[in-house]
Amino acid sequence: MSTASPVKTTAVSAEGVWKAYGTGEAQVVALRDVSVQFASGAFTAIMGPSGSGKSTLMHCLAGLDTTDRGTVHIGDTPVTGLNDKALTKLRRDKIGFIFQQFNLLPTLTAEENITLPAAIAGAKADPDWLKKIIHTLDLTDRLSHKPTELSGGQQQRVACARALATRPEVVFADEPTGNLDTRSGAEVLRFLRTSVDDFGQTIVMVTHDPGAAAYADRVVFLADGRIVEDMAEPTADKVIDKMKHFEELVAAAQEETA
Amino acid sequence: MLRATLKGMAARKARLILTSLAVVLGSAFIASALVLTASIRATVADLSGDAYRGADVLVQPLEPENRGDRLVRDGVTAETLAAIESSEDVAEVSTTVSWMVNALGEDGKIVGGFAPTLSVNWGDASVERELREGRAPETDREVAVSAQFVTESGLGLGDTVTAYALDTDETAYEIVGVYGYSGGRDSLSGATELAFTTPEAQRLVFGGEDAYTAVAVTAASGVSADDLLASLEPAVGDEAQAITRQAYVDDLNAESAEATKLIGYFLLGFGLIAVFVSVFLIANTFSIVIAGRLKEIAMMRAIGAGRGQITRSVLAEAGLLGAVASVVGAGIGVAAGAGLTSVVANGFLDTASTSVAIPWTAPLAAVAVGVGVTVLSALVPAVRASKTPPVEAMRAAAKADKPILGVTVTGLLVTLLGATGIVLGLNETFDGDNMNLMSAAVGAGVVFVGVALLTAWLSKPVVALLGAVWSWSFAGRLGRLNAARNPRRTAVTAAALMIGVTLVTATATLLTSVKESLAAQFESSIQAELFITGPVTSSVPATFDPELMDDVRAVDGVDTAVELYYDVAQVDGTEQSVNATTDLEGGIALFGGEVVEGTVENLAEGQTVVNESSADLLGAGLGDTVAMTFSRGTESREFTIVGILADNADTDGWYVDRSYATEFYTPKPTTALVDVADGADVEEVTADVEAVLADEPAVSVQNHEEYLAQVTVFFDYAIIAIQLLLALAMIVAVIGVVNTLVLSVLERTRELGMLRAMGMTRGQTTRMVTVESVTIALFGALLGVGTGLLLGWIVQQALAPSGIEEFAVPTALIAAYLGAAVLVGLLAAIAPAVRASKVDILGAISYE
Ligand SMILES: Nc1ncnc2c1ncn2[C@@H]1O[C@H](COP(=O)(O)OP(=O)(O)OP(=O)(O)O)[C@@H](O)[C@H]1O
Ligand SMILES: [Mg+2]
Repeated sequence: MSTASPVKTTAVSAEGVWKAYGTGEAQVVALRDVSVQFASGAFTAIMGPSGSGKSTLMHCLAGLDTTDRGTVHIGDTPVTGLNDKALTKLRRDKIGFIFQQFNLLPTLTAEENITLPAAIAGAKADPDWLKKIIHTLDLTDRLSHKPTELSGGQQQRVACARALATRPEVVFADEPTGNLDTRSGAEVLRFLRTSVDDFGQTIVMVTHDPGAAAYADRVVFLADGRIVEDMAEPTADKVIDKMKHFEELVAAAQEETA
Repeated sequence: MLRATLKGMAARKARLILTSLAVVLGSAFIASALVLTASIRATVADLSGDAYRGADVLVQPLEPENRGDRLVRDGVTAETLAAIESSEDVAEVSTTVSWMVNALGEDGKIVGGFAPTLSVNWGDASVERELREGRAPETDREVAVSAQFVTESGLGLGDTVTAYALDTDETAYEIVGVYGYSGGRDSLSGATELAFTTPEAQRLVFGGEDAYTAVAVTAASGVSADDLLASLEPAVGDEAQAITRQAYVDDLNAESAEATKLIGYFLLGFGLIAVFVSVFLIANTFSIVIAGRLKEIAMMRAIGAGRGQITRSVLAEAGLLGAVASVVGAGIGVAAGAGLTSVVANGFLDTASTSVAIPWTAPLAAVAVGVGVTVLSALVPAVRASKTPPVEAMRAAAKADKPILGVTVTGLLVTLLGATGIVLGLNETFDGDNMNLMSAAVGAGVVFVGVALLTAWLSKPVVALLGAVWSWSFAGRLGRLNAARNPRRTAVTAAALMIGVTLVTATATLLTSVKESLAAQFESSIQAELFITGPVTSSVPATFDPELMDDVRAVDGVDTAVELYYDVAQVDGTEQSVNATTDLEGGIALFGGEVVEGTVENLAEGQTVVNESSADLLGAGLGDTVAMTFSRGTESREFTIVGILADNADTDGWYVDRSYATEFYTPKPTTALVDVADGADVEEVTADVEAVLADEPAVSVQNHEEYLAQVTVFFDYAIIAIQLLLALAMIVAVIGVVNTLVLSVLERTRELGMLRAMGMTRGQTTRMVTVESVTIALFGALLGVGTGLLLGWIVQQALAPSGIEEFAVPTALIAAYLGAAVLVGLLAAIAPAVRASKVDILGAISYE
């Protein structure tokens, strides 16, 4: 059952985004004129060397950070220029998050953690939908457990369920498998894949792992704050190959701006 | 990286400051208590030093042995004065005629509260009075009044004031002058004063005899005070006594030192309570700080640090922090004590200048207590830290809280131990009152500690129960869960609040119980409906004309009316209260007294009736003879005991025939009881009796309720006084709650960032922290109320045999404490909540 529409609309888009930290000598430009679109119902991976601006881009897209120049849209909603209140509401209603670790509130059970975004919004999560994702993630037996009683992989699966519980327009994941072993990581990635294929979710994931990137429909490569490559239908080999030639790509990109 | 380092340092700085705050507070309280006590003593000494300034020798009347200040005495006669003045060694003489007086204010009521109202002679040069308005009194119907009197009476220059002394009738005087004292003061120690011409002052005090209450003598040049004293001996003779002014001032100082010692104990008690509370705060802060550094400690253990090293390093940090903080605290405390001195001096003593004394013990004790308390409080967290297993460093998730079974069992045992101490003490198991008192007091302290240990166990159910209130809001639910998250931490924080609330609840419960017990006894025993009495605080006892009693008896609806005369007399050489009345039988009946032996009918001259224990005190029984000397009596009289009364607080004492009242301190009746006939309208009778007494402004007609309110007014003052204690404890507790919350917020920064990233609004974040705060505060207050009621009940039970039979719960006060706790919770939440809502989301979620 695929709910993805044949005509792909854009879930998230960035237009000429610039972001710099600090001033003067110490200034670091994290994003330079980044323009990118993420289609609805697609799974996109963002890759790049450490410090290339992946997290920064994701934070700007998710309304966690402001851009210096350029605009960001989530669906039709412009993110740029919103105040804290509107941004909070936007994140609550349209965005799901999966972080690398510390995703869960230790005081709440797994189930309560999953329904946390709905509770924050003062709404009730759709029970059928919840049942479906909990079943898919194989968490049915763990619902009453506290995070301290769960393994890292289980915790991360709870975080996935939570991110999807409100059917957000887009889910942002920053190295969701960074702290997991291969098997647990694969479980999480498979679920993300399933949620795109079966539920038509939109996912943007930052990762260092070519294997993880292979689960995506598309990989966007960042280097030195710029998009240097946009690869469709990635496989682990293709990604590794690309990474081998990264120095050249970066040099080319720098020449472009020079 | 730099950002992370700076962030860590800022966080650590906040923690350090918060830990220090508790230490600073504790040592500041100790230092200020000591400085305030010493300064009050110095200031009072200055005040005594003011008395008869410039004089060398004082000549005073011989005071009758063992007679209180309020009793009449003979003055220094004019002959003695003349003899003094004729001495060659004398340079100057000033004369004082000063005693208690009652004056009626603008509202017709007697002026003054607890400070006395005095009549003085304007001509007295020994006190520096400074006219502010008008002039000095020149005729016997003129008076100058102190500025304090103007304030309290509502009367002023040109008005007429009515005043009377013990033996004089009410007299109207014109106020021709208003004065203050040197240094711009309105009063001396708060007393109100009326200054008359010397003859008028002598009429008020000595019934017109040319006599003085004091003669201050200045020596001629070259004559020492001691020489003057010796040379005046023959002039003074046996009728008066002379002492050097220095000896007089020393006596005054010794007296005031005795009084200030009490104030000192009281203040030090406050200080120690503050320290006791801060022990909890310090221990808690250290625990939290160490919990935050568990990884660091585990890593040190992993790379080879021994347990002892860890303990020592924590204790060294505590010692250093304690030293710095207590030095700061001592400084603040000394300054606060000095500042408070002038508040106390101006507010209560009305002194011209204040002397600040800083005993070296003050900063020393503050620092010693501060360092000691800090190191001791850090001991438990330090030992716990040293037990951190090295694997902790590798463990990612926060581990579950330590089991609290051990603490709970210990708490239970300690509580029982403390309760045993209290019960043993109150049942006077030990020899010597001090031992019993110690046992009870130490027991109460131990109960505190016990309950404080139990709080961790109690926190689960109570917090869950409290939490039910907030469950409607999601943020509220999270806040409640956070409060229950770390039972130890919540418990210790709540315990800090508990201590203050326990103290005030226990005291308030006990005082209310005493009040209620008195009221119950009163209601069940006293037959009279109405009482005619004056205020307890008037300088001269309020009396009324006994002739009016016939008119009172004639009022329609009055069954019986009995007036009572009162005196403190010498009975077989001991001071006893003696009453006289025209109708002893009626009086005893109206007071609900009971005759055990003999008779109380028609008491004749030379006969007396007494209650059992007063008779036992003198080893006298029915038919025995005792000797009494009344206040104004010149000779001792023999009385035979003809009746014995059962002990009853309302009728205890000796009774004699009314004819002896002329020798009493107050020859007029001070109280009357009126029994209203069944079926008569009490209000109507009250109005009629009031009409009879219209010309007696000193007394009023009171019903049971009003009379009781007047009798128990001291308990109300006491209850108010202990509310101050609450206020103090609350301040410390607020800091404690703020401390815990801020540290918790710091600890949960990442969590808060995640919640905010997921769309939790600032408002929700604020609400979450506030609910946590209010829950902790309410929990502490509930524990305090519970423990306080328990302690109050134990003491009440122990006192039941002495007549405190009712156990009364001060519901309104307890409701107020709980309300205050909510307020404390709200106040304490402000800073941490703002902090939590401003958490930098990106900073919080970016990994190490
Ligand atoms: N708050 C900040 N202040 C200053 N510089 C920052 C800040 N956040 C990021 N940077 C800088 O911006 C650049 C991009 O950082 P970003 O975190 O986006 O990198 P990344 O691609 O996510 O790296 P990694 O793979 O290591 O997570 C880096 O050079 C980083 O040092
Ligand atoms: Mg990153």
